[in-house]
Amino acid sequence: MSQTMQIGERETSLLGRLRLTIARRTEGRGIVLLVAVLAVVAFTEPLVFTSYQVSLGRIALIGLVALGLTAVILMGELDLSVASTLAVSGVVVALIPDIRLGILAALVVGILIGVVNAFFVAIVGINSFIATLGMLFALRGLAFVLSDEAPVKITDVDAGIAFGQPLIGPITPRVLIFILAFIAIQVFVSRVKAGREFFAVGGNRQAAYDAGIPVKRRIFTGFMISGFVAALAGVINTLERTAADPTAGSTVLLASFAAAIIGGNYLKGGRGSIVGTLIGATALGVLQVALTLSGVQVPVQQIFIGAILLLAVTTDPANLRAVLGSVRSLRLGRSKAQTPGSGS
Amino acid sequence: MAKETLTEAITLAESDAAGLAPVKSRTSPLEWVAENGIFVFTALLILASVVFVDGFASLVNITDVFHRAAPIGIVAVGMTFVVISGNYLDLSVVAQVATSAVILIAVSNEYGLPLAMLAALLAAATFGIVNGVAVGYFKANAVIVTLATTYIGLGLLRYFSGGSIFFGPQDGIIREFGLGKLGPVPYSAIVLLIMTIVLGFVLSRTNFGFLVRSFGVNERATRLSGTNTAAVVIGAFLVTAVAAMVAGWVLAAFSNTAVSAMSQGYDFRALAAIIVGGTSVFGGKGSVLRTLVGVIFVSVLTNVLVLSGISFGYQQMALGALIVAAVTVDALSRKAAKR
Repeated sequence: MSQTMQIGERETSLLGRLRLTIARRTEGRGIVLLVAVLAVVAFTEPLVFTSYQVSLGRIALIGLVALGLTAVILMGELDLSVASTLAVSGVVVALIPDIRLGILAALVVGILIGVVNAFFVAIVGINSFIATLGMLFALRGLAFVLSDEAPVKITDVDAGIAFGQPLIGPITPRVLIFILAFIAIQVFVSRVKAGREFFAVGGNRQAAYDAGIPVKRRIFTGFMISGFVAALAGVINTLERTAADPTAGSTVLLASFAAAIIGGNYLKGGRGSIVGTLIGATALGVLQVALTLSGVQVPVQQIFIGAILLLAVTTDPANLRAVLGSVRSLRLGRSKAQTPGSGS
Repeated sequence: MAKETLTEAITLAESDAAGLAPVKSRTSPLEWVAENGIFVFTALLILASVVFVDGFASLVNITDVFHRAAPIGIVAVGMTFVVISGNYLDLSVVAQVATSAVILIAVSNEYGLPLAMLAALLAAATFGIVNGVAVGYFKANAVIVTLATTYIGLGLLRYFSGGSIFFGPQDGIIREFGLGKLGPVPYSAIVLLIMTIVLGFVLSRTNFGFLVRSFGVNERATRLSGTNTAAVVIGAFLVTAVAAMVAGWVLAAFSNTAVSAMSQGYDFRALAAIIVGGTSVFGGKGSVLRTLVGVIFVSVLTNVLVLSGISFGYQQMALGALIVAAVTVDALSRKAAKR
């Protein structure tokens, strides 16, 4: 299940192959965080493991949005608008009386938002950080306009309540959808040609273009995936709560970014893994549930998740290499300045 | 602006090195709009508002526009440094403004004003250094870093303040400053003007300002010329943090209250003002004066929308669309200039 392309490296011995595999995996930090969280939680709040229905639901909530984000991050882009996409699609579901039509409309809205984002990034050439930030604010406004600035109750409340019930054991429809989405995206980026091309687009866009990969179309695909998945999360939220909240999504934004980045997806693109995102989402989900069960207030939980995100983004291996480089050049520069004659 | 030609020289030198040296004799209409459009649009908007919008030209309303524009404007002129340095923006100004406002009111109630200002300065410096070190030294993405510090900052603030509202004393320097006016112009707007002049001077006439702009144009060339680029980035974030702190003071003085949720939307309004003013999100191009014009545009537009009874949701949509439109014009004019 190798996800990055390594060309020209051949190791035949078992140990050598193992070393190569480890070197090209990116999930290291995610695993460290997950092990640390699980170890601390096992001692302080073992309740998390017995109430696995809550934990699974939380992991699915963070993970679903993070999965869509991963598709975009692999190409070196970012989709900040997912939080508002979630809110808008949630409101759309609640507004349309027929529930099937509502779900369909909400998912179409999600894909359309992805198309608009991709248009600005791929065709106009705006940096995706700024384009999707503008969309984040504009769509938040749209959610307020559609909902008349108040929560909207869904018409078919019974269907919503039925949707929140577990199907088999602790598996609620939300968890089931998350697992299906995980498998679908994992297969897409590791087995399907279009998905594998995401890594090429993120690794070196010019090279990908020269190799005949339709770069712009891949960017459209990526943003459509993240829009669709965010809309799916919005639909699930609305159905489970039987009401749509136009302010939804701002806390999910932070946690899902943290999950995707700590899971080993390089923000510059080209390297990363869906499995890593799952590991990151699991760690953060368990942490959030544990903190809630121990009675920690939401603001303090946000300090924890914010700190993890800050740590994740600063300990990106590509960044660390740059830091070491600048330290080395700084030292070299100092020693050069000390040699007589070279200064002034 | 003598130094602006210097940055242009760097850009020219860059394109020379790439083997394509287009010496442009005349600019396309799109470039002209990207360059000077905002001045025309702002003049037209004000003119149209005076003529068509009832109650806009009244003295009470003008003072109100000044009151609302001042804190956002102070944040925006400070954040211009981060944007010009090519680091997109500082989302954590939301947390910075609220922290500074709450500290000013809460600490001055207990220990007096000087200590409160010192504490706020300390908090601002912490924000600036954490953001600056993460972005400048660890080369992390500024949007993600400041998103994280926003939540860390707001979380700490809500934890320590308990989310409660702090009221200042009914008579005191803070209250006097908040209500004070020079003719129809409140003191807060004068602070905005002073900040614009001072930061404009720093950005266009000092060595540090030049380095911030040259970092925005070409990070590599700036580093190779022997500049400590991490220090430049930290400096840019510190300027933003200090401006956000002053904005927090002005905001707290205006209402004589402070609460952790008081600065919601400041990140986005300040960014709208900066981008609409013509400062490029690609870095290197722009000025503090342009941001001031952008602030006037965004504030008048918001005021007109409010006066016309347009709801909050539509206002958000309008400003979001404005950001995307302004960046689109900038991006397309850049493409046109390269051709």
